[in-house]
Amino acid sequence: MIYSFWMYDRHCECIYSRDWHRSAAHEDKEDLQKLIYGSVFSLRNITRKLSDDDAFLSFQTSKYKLHFFESPSNLKLVLITDPMMSDACNALRQIYAGLYVEYVVKNPLSPIEHPRGTGVDNDLFNMGLDSFVRSLQGFA
Amino acid sequence: MGVKSIYILNKAGGLIFQRDFGDSLSKLDSNDYLVIAGTLHSVHAITTRISPVAGSSGLTVMETPSFSLHIFQSQTGIKFMILTDRQQYGIDSIASRIHHLYSDYVMKNPFYTLEMPIRCEKFDRYLGAYISTVA
Repeated sequence: MIYSFWMYDRHCECIYSRDWHRSAAHEDKEDLQKLIYGSVFSLRNITRKLSDDDAFLSFQTSKYKLHFFESPSNLKLVLITDPMMSDACNALRQIYAGLYVEYVVKNPLSPIEHPRGTGVDNDLFNMGLDSFVRSLQGFA
Repeated sequence: MGVKSIYILNKAGGLIFQRDFGDSLSKLDSNDYLVIAGTLHSVHAITTRISPVAGSSGLTVMETPSFSLHIFQSQTGIKFMILTDRQQYGIDSIASRIHHLYSDYVMKNPFYTLEMPIRCEKFDRYLGAYISTVA
């Protein structure tokens, strides 16, 4: 089961988010996106301190699993799934290379930075992401 | 191979025990270990709040390309953090064994003050002996 997808730019700004299976409705989405960023950022820093790894791959609790991928330009991609899901770092890498770079970075009309509020707003990216995530094993 | 490092945190997130086994992890100074412990303590609390499903526990496992971090919380709120190889299996039994050693040689030590750093020679000795047997 895939719950949601989040993308943060290098200024810690959430530039894209999307829900699929939503159960516990969070009252405040802005709070949620900050909490997710906070935990991902802290765990990444701990990983870097303890080892030569660039970042962690995933973490899990009893009810969900969070997969993480960071691009060389510090774009952070986060996928939240149920704990049974196998590592989805490659899927995130594909989303970055196949969808974000293709449809957002290479789009001359898309802004390079996403100041507060706008974020990635691109139909091709939206549709591509939706069909890619739905095609992943363990989506439903 | 096996267990790389063990951290024990008290209820407030203070580091009361830390020991590395082998030298596959970077050496840090003692202040860094306190920071890591404190950070993990808060991340553990935050991760219960970002759950898409109600009633989630805190962070239990984190995987990186070179190690995994497992967190076990005892009934009394003490956290055991175990850093192992990614291939290590049977972490649950390792954790419960460490909890046993903690109960036997730390909690039953009349000179140990609750929530304070663990300086119990016997605990050190038995822990070292046990970890060296973990394949």
